[in-house]
Amino acid sequence: MKRRRFMFLFFLAFVTGSAFAHGNKVHMRGTVLKISADSVLVKTPDGKSVEVKLMPTTVYVLRSNGQDKPAKFADLAAGDFVVIHATPKDSLLEGDEVKFSVPAATKPAASPSSNPKP
Amino acid sequence: MKRSSLVLLIGVVLFGVVITIAASILHEGLSSHATPTALEVVLARNVRHLAIPASARSAQNPLLDSAEDLRDARRHFADHCAVCHANDGGGDTPMGAGLYPKPPDLRLARTQSLTDGELFWIIENGVRFTGMPAFSNNGSRDAFGNHADAQDSWKLVHFIRHLPFLTVAERIEMEKYNPKGPDARSEEQEENDFLNGATPQQKPESQKHHQK
Repeated sequence: MKRRRFMFLFFLAFVTGSAFAHGNKVHMRGTVLKISADSVLVKTPDGKSVEVKLMPTTVYVLRSNGQDKPAKFADLAAGDFVVIHATPKDSLLEGDEVKFSVPAATKPAASPSSNPKP
Repeated sequence: MKRSSLVLLIGVVLFGVVITIAASILHEGLSSHATPTALEVVLARNVRHLAIPASARSAQNPLLDSAEDLRDARRHFADHCAVCHANDGGGDTPMGAGLYPKPPDLRLARTQSLTDGELFWIIENGVRFTGMPAFSNNGSRDAFGNHADAQDSWKLVHFIRHLPFLTVAERIEMEKYNPKGPDARSEEQEENDFLNGATPQQKPESQKHHQK
């Protein structure tokens, strides 16, 4: 019984260790500085600028009111907060997922018609 | 088939196996980082095809493709399969990258061209010498030989057919059902806090990703 338990723990440790060792994805967060058709330049909290290549397969997600919603490239704008999951390839980062939110200060003011009536 | 032909066929298969094993050993030792050679791929696919009984290959999905079943399958896939196959079925995961062979891209023709019966059989029985486990339990079976969870596997077959058309909204929903450890949960919370406008943490701006 003890031997089986030991074997199981050994197996579990091996599998878990492998998963961590082989992780090659990068998560980064920051503010969008500049957007071009195929890349986004992000300013990270420590002041560095990092370019991430946008691929046809990159998925865009808008974080709004605590919810994730499907979005598209055109929704992304300079000044947005962004969390990017990317895959390093050669010396570049290729974006797998770009999740972003619009900072409160830059959100467009609600139009009068959308205000609730008194 | 004549006896001599059978012997010849077995001889050719054995020769292929020997060559494959030799190629594997010479090809990055026995590391799982390696990618299978073309010969191994062809051989393995043919062996897998032959291993699936003809009756199983021609089995029809007994379930209709309903939105409810698809939702169940999405959650099931996110919980049990995505750790290797990824939510979108592309196979681009840290776990998948460390397997030999790598999980196939389920959206591509090589998988989509399999029959419903073949997909079901693979889910139920796994694929030996790969990371694909058998998901059928050995518990009680009904009069048709199906175990209690067979319906889940048939639902997954529908979901695999749907993978090339998976929407971002479906992917977002699946992420809630992905098994995650405390570190991944904490990292996800930090990212959401950042996006929600909370003060950015003073952690490194980029970090190695452990789990997808």
